[in-house]
Amino acid sequence: MKIRNVASTVIDAIKIPRLIRLEHNLYAAAFVLMKLLPARFILESARQDGLIAPGTTIIETTSGTFGLALAMICNQQGYRLILVSDPAIDPPLQRRLEELGTTVEIVRAPAATGGFQRARLDRMAEFQAAYPDHFWPAQYDNAHNPGAYAPFAEALVETIGQIDCLVGTVGSGGSMCGTSRYLRLLFPHLHVIGVDTLGSVLFGQPDRKRLLRGLGNSLMPQNVDHSAFDEVHWVAAAEGFLATRELHRNHALYMGPTSGAAYQAARWWAREHPDAVVLAVLPDEGYRYQETIYNDAWLEGNDVRLAELPAAPRLVAHPHEAGPEWSRLLWGRRDYEQIMGAPFSPPGQV
Amino acid sequence: MVQKGSLLYTEPMPKLDRSPWRRRDEAHGYGRATAHHGEILQGVFEQPDGSLHRALVTLPCDLFGSEATFEPSPDAPLAVEPIWKCKARQAAELALEACGLAEWGGRLTIRSNVPLGWGLGSSTCDVTASIRAIADAFDLDLAPKQIAAIAVQAEQASDSIMFSDAAVLFAHRDGIVLESFDQPLPPLDIVGFNADAAGAGIDTLEFAPAQYSTWDVEAFRPLVGLLRRAIYDQDPRLVGRVASASARINQRYLPKPQFDRFEAAVEATDAVGFQVSHSGTIVGLIFDPRDDDTHRNVLAAQALIAEMGFGASWHIQTHATHRRLR
Repeated sequence: MKIRNVASTVIDAIKIPRLIRLEHNLYAAAFVLMKLLPARFILESARQDGLIAPGTTIIETTSGTFGLALAMICNQQGYRLILVSDPAIDPPLQRRLEELGTTVEIVRAPAATGGFQRARLDRMAEFQAAYPDHFWPAQYDNAHNPGAYAPFAEALVETIGQIDCLVGTVGSGGSMCGTSRYLRLLFPHLHVIGVDTLGSVLFGQPDRKRLLRGLGNSLMPQNVDHSAFDEVHWVAAAEGFLATRELHRNHALYMGPTSGAAYQAARWWAREHPDAVVLAVLPDEGYRYQETIYNDAWLEGNDVRLAELPAAPRLVAHPHEAGPEWSRLLWGRRDYEQIMGAPFSPPGQV
Repeated sequence: MVQKGSLLYTEPMPKLDRSPWRRRDEAHGYGRATAHHGEILQGVFEQPDGSLHRALVTLPCDLFGSEATFEPSPDAPLAVEPIWKCKARQAAELALEACGLAEWGGRLTIRSNVPLGWGLGSSTCDVTASIRAIADAFDLDLAPKQIAAIAVQAEQASDSIMFSDAAVLFAHRDGIVLESFDQPLPPLDIVGFNADAAGAGIDTLEFAPAQYSTWDVEAFRPLVGLLRRAIYDQDPRLVGRVASASARINQRYLPKPQFDRFEAAVEATDAVGFQVSHSGTIVGLIFDPRDDDTHRNVLAAQALIAEMGFGASWHIQTHATHRRLR
């Protein structure tokens, strides 16, 4: 018999998403804060390995939801947390982090080469030198990031049963590469669609400034296993924002922009494949974006207010052909070099 | 023509002579236990308190079994026939002690047709039948979990064949049920064979337990998650998915020769998956009894297994088992 039990912390209470059927073959996994899974698994593994104990200083650079997840866990488990961020961090998030006891260090000026990302890494290195016993979660390269998604995969298959297609955004690579690796133990033919945004280097686009945040990257995390993906979609910012609003209008799901981007690709693929069971991963809630994506004036001011989504993505043969609107490429579980002809080289290095 | 639930051996196994043993006699206790056909799932599982337990979900198989009779006598030594069934003797002594009957002895006779060393649970079969015979002799009701606790004490590690009403995730070294799935496995058609018939067999107890990586410890979570759904929906296809995944993980630790060919056989025969005895040499192709083509696929599988050189195969229908046990 299944009986409901009390959770010992809010982290345990909300780490598993709600699963919702959106259309006859389209399901959504709606997380409150998906990054709680990797943050918790990374810290718990470090604790078991004797790398950290209550009082240890954890140092990370992030301005996103991974930082919030770390802050919630450190607050509950008694770790000290220093987050290095840049002026792009939104003030409500910074206040929330500080209330949880986190030291938020804002880098004020970009580095001469490498911009704010470089400046943040440099500042983090200073902190790491100052705290020799610190622990760095390193979500981009720590194998416990993808490894953290087994409880998610468990909830998916226990609730839905067979799953044929997994759709989600890629940023660190953790959620999509980890979840698909666990699911493919059971369903080796699982079709995996990675959703990226134009101007992200993850799947071979040239790096440029991006308005759609929380997915994509200017760096190449080790946790992105390109050979996990059958298909890659690039979503334009205006499209992702409109899809986020449609998720709310159509299903009363008030989620963040990465959820919208995943929904955009998943809904199209599910309608193209009515006999396949499709799952869209929705990584966080919409409250952080009330004044931006959920505000028409902000959308207009940034020239990203769109009346209608394209009916379908444009099929491209090479990542450089993607854009300016929604595009897709049949990646075919190949590695980066097979697609691009050369391994990834960071900007500024040839 | 495949006979339902029948042995399809070229050399037939001795059949259990059940009829004279089944008569309830005042002076005798009778117990029986059916074997299993390896496992649907075996690995290590985290409990809500954070502890890790090795555990398994067995696939019952009533082609093979053991039965035991016990004639108690007070203040007498315990005589076990055949004399080499040491684990059954150990279990009988523990059972008498657990029931507060330590001063009793008597004659415990065991018959079994379970092949040894294939990973079919021959020893747990003897042990369970023996404990049941002793309980029966004294008109005691032992719950499956009490039998399991005694069996693990006697054997160090025991299978979960004593739980005949519902599939369980059983910690075979701790003797405890981690999770009950509330129902038996769904009906399955299994075509079984011994992947190493020429081999010497395996002494399950001497087998070093797998030292799973962190990744694999995590990987068992979705496997048990899908098994919950499979049993709740009584869906053989999902059971096949779980069993194949468990066999693949196990292959990294306790490898079976010619493993790729089992996978190929699944593809070639439209099986929904395959299962193995994780510490033995038994393999079973799993078919969905609801499929119209199952009968044809079972025959094709048996022909293919012979062609592959694995020798004899047999056909188990767990739905028939369910019917008989009820």
